[in-house]
Amino acid sequence: MSKIKIKDIGTAEKLDRSKPPKSGKPRDVNFPKFYEAKTDNGITVLVIEDSRLPLVTTRFVFKNGSYTDHFSGVDKYGLGSMTSELLVKGTESRTATDIAEEVDYIGATLSSGCDYDATYVSSYSLKKYFDNMFDIISDVIFNPLFAEEEISRLREQRLNVLLSMVDDGDYLADKVFKKYVYGNSPYAYPVEGNHNSIKSIGRKDIQNFYGKVFSPENLIVAFVGDITPDEAMLKLNSKFYKWENKKSSRDEIITPSLHDSTKVYLVEKKGAVQSSLKIGHLGISRDNPEFIPAYIMNTMLGGYFTSRINKNLREENGYTYGARSYFSCNKYSGDFSINTEVKTEITSNTVKEILKELNDIRNDFVGKEELQNVKNYISGNFPLQLETPNAIASKVINLKLHNLEDDYYNTYIRKVNNLTKEDIKNAAEKYLHPDKLSISIAGNTNAIKEEMKQFANVEVINDIT
Amino acid sequence: MTTNDLAVQIVSDIPSVDFKEHTLDNGLQVVMSKFGNIPMVVVNTTFHTGSKDEEENKTGLAHLFEHLMFEGSPNIPKGRFDEILNKNGGDSNAYTSWDSTSYYVVIPSNHLETALWLDSDRINGFGISKESLEIQKDVVLEEKLLYVDNSPYGSLEEESSKRLFKNSGYRWPIIGNMDDLRKVTLEDIKEFFAKYYKPNNAVISVVGDIDYDNTLRSIEKYYGNISPGGEIIRKEYTEDDIKKEMREDIYDNIHLDGKFIFYRMPEMGTKDYYAMSILNGILSEGDSSRFYNELEYKSKLVSEIDTTLYGMEKTSIFIISAIAMQGKSLEEIENKIDNIIGDIKKGNISDKEFKKIQNRIETYYNSKRQSIVSLADKFSYLKTFYNNCEKINFEIIDYLSVSKEDLVNTANKYLNPEQRLVLNYLPKNN
Repeated sequence: MSKIKIKDIGTAEKLDRSKPPKSGKPRDVNFPKFYEAKTDNGITVLVIEDSRLPLVTTRFVFKNGSYTDHFSGVDKYGLGSMTSELLVKGTESRTATDIAEEVDYIGATLSSGCDYDATYVSSYSLKKYFDNMFDIISDVIFNPLFAEEEISRLREQRLNVLLSMVDDGDYLADKVFKKYVYGNSPYAYPVEGNHNSIKSIGRKDIQNFYGKVFSPENLIVAFVGDITPDEAMLKLNSKFYKWENKKSSRDEIITPSLHDSTKVYLVEKKGAVQSSLKIGHLGISRDNPEFIPAYIMNTMLGGYFTSRINKNLREENGYTYGARSYFSCNKYSGDFSINTEVKTEITSNTVKEILKELNDIRNDFVGKEELQNVKNYISGNFPLQLETPNAIASKVINLKLHNLEDDYYNTYIRKVNNLTKEDIKNAAEKYLHPDKLSISIAGNTNAIKEEMKQFANVEVINDIT
Repeated sequence: MTTNDLAVQIVSDIPSVDFKEHTLDNGLQVVMSKFGNIPMVVVNTTFHTGSKDEEENKTGLAHLFEHLMFEGSPNIPKGRFDEILNKNGGDSNAYTSWDSTSYYVVIPSNHLETALWLDSDRINGFGISKESLEIQKDVVLEEKLLYVDNSPYGSLEEESSKRLFKNSGYRWPIIGNMDDLRKVTLEDIKEFFAKYYKPNNAVISVVGDIDYDNTLRSIEKYYGNISPGGEIIRKEYTEDDIKKEMREDIYDNIHLDGKFIFYRMPEMGTKDYYAMSILNGILSEGDSSRFYNELEYKSKLVSEIDTTLYGMEKTSIFIISAIAMQGKSLEEIENKIDNIIGDIKKGNISDKEFKKIQNRIETYYNSKRQSIVSLADKFSYLKTFYNNCEKINFEIIDYLSVSKEDLVNTANKYLNPEQRLVLNYLPKNN
């Protein structure tokens, strides 16, 4: 056991606890360097090297996700997520069980899935098993079988999951919120699909989606961890250099619009003792040039523990275990929302307080100290987001996926620190609309229906599919 | 290669974590580790008091403290703790278990003293107001509604604890009974604070971008003059063995039936506990695991199946959780689960299956060496419960030295029908 001796401690200094200590000089933080290249057939390759641990992650990111479901036929929601999950359920030479056995045996993980804007396949293993793992992940990307048996198994499983998700108030509130906020945009539909759409998805749909999305020009590959750029390029080229691009159609961009006025949507959650609230409206896409002022404004409003909304609802009123607000930003559009859960009886009081906070941050300048605090918080905490090579990789992939400037993260902190109280007020005025809200609540609808009428027209949603 | 050779080989392949330990005169145990390459530091303070240490009729105090400790201390008024942290780029959180309560602060390393100043002030003196207490009681009541009453299968902890345990403080849920919570007075919390929130009942782990000498000097400065409390007399743990199977149907706001099977296991750190961890892996880790493969993949009986081994100070709990596919019977699911366990008891574990779990452990062990927040938590845990921080580098040997025979013995010793509790969750008709 390593014990150390200490000298010169104890009585020498009389401690005055009423005064905060002086701090030392901060250490500079730069965004870590990473390697980037493009293969002849158009694959974007990223290498985030870190040899401290003998681990390698490989992340394949295809630049389409469930947004594309909408353009794959009538009612095919959930197609992207079904396709991505089925990748690992059998190839021309490996059954689903073979894949599971091989991956588990070497202590690795292989996972796949999608969100609105991208499809992901990734693997994680010790370096000594990287060759085996790369072999498997290449196989599932090139040669997926999409066997009927696997499709029907996943379909049945998904239908059961959808059935159980309505037991969750937050899920219900979110689903209703998206449906009304995004209107005619594909972002209105859940990534996981709905009862009817999942039933209608067949093998042909899956093969078409695969053909459309899985091509080299549409691919970003990130190698992360104990691997050099040379090793990574060699490995990738050994499997992927012959892969040819196909002509594919681009998805149409459907731009939803803000509502004219506020509306309340209520959905029943069986046996609810709390209301799950999601309140907001359309927001911004990730590449919006004013993302940073909007993000910082939101951080003050409801983005962290000491934000206005959490302070009000939790720390001053004891209404909730927690409340947060977000700008959720997709590639083509996004939404802004405030999310919390409160007991049924205080639902309308909570809505009142939320409206007050939305109006306050639009009408008045934020305080000097409040703004400085949030700047310090964002810049001080930033290194924690760069702690692991995979965290760094997520950020770099984000740059590429949303076409942000290469020096985005190097200038990020400076841009945050340059914001003025005027910038924050502008962002609040421009991106918060307390008079055009969708107030979506899952809970005991009969108990809250009447009192919600004070805010706007109330609609009770019976069919949430 | 023997199991031990293998363990030695693997240990030498994994970069070891450097650390130093010290105990202050007032009994505060200090662990420091210079780790990572970001300019940040974590201060984790763990008190060796959890929900099982509470008195009957005064349950929920340990967890309530997890909230109250952010509500003001003699020199830091209510609301200022997090504000000061945030404006210095820091963040904080806390959690409560059956056996301990942990607080952590993560902050840029040039503000380490600020973190120590904030954290030590709330141990040095009591500054919580009646108003804060009442607000935080409301917050905890909402927390309980959120995670228990309004959450599918949310009553599992409460329904299982009261049946698995009859004497010890493990018989009530960590969050406590809400009737007790509503009655808590300022006097109750002062008393609890005076008894447990003392340096001789705590471990502080400081991990990240630090200098050992300076860090220890600062810890001594802020914590060294806090007076120790009296000796903490811990209740003796007594629970009779479960000798008869318990079964209960619970009706909940759910759409899919659930089958939950609970076994009491030996406390964490014992040989049987490590063997059970390995069994846990064989049963449910990865898509080739027995439960996933047999119940979810092949027979499509469940939409989800998982197992968890909760390591505790005086006992442990092993839980099998299965959510049925619509229309499938819970009885069939239980039979299938029992068959798989029966198979293991007979010794049917292949070399490949055994080796697979060892490989998974090796990956897991490496991947756990990345985050300063989780390392600090691990150090506090090792110091609190084992008084042995060397385990940070060598606990993998405890896992890898489990033999196939140990697995079979453990399964036969503990995973028996007469030693368990079975809860069937069924949809409420309303």
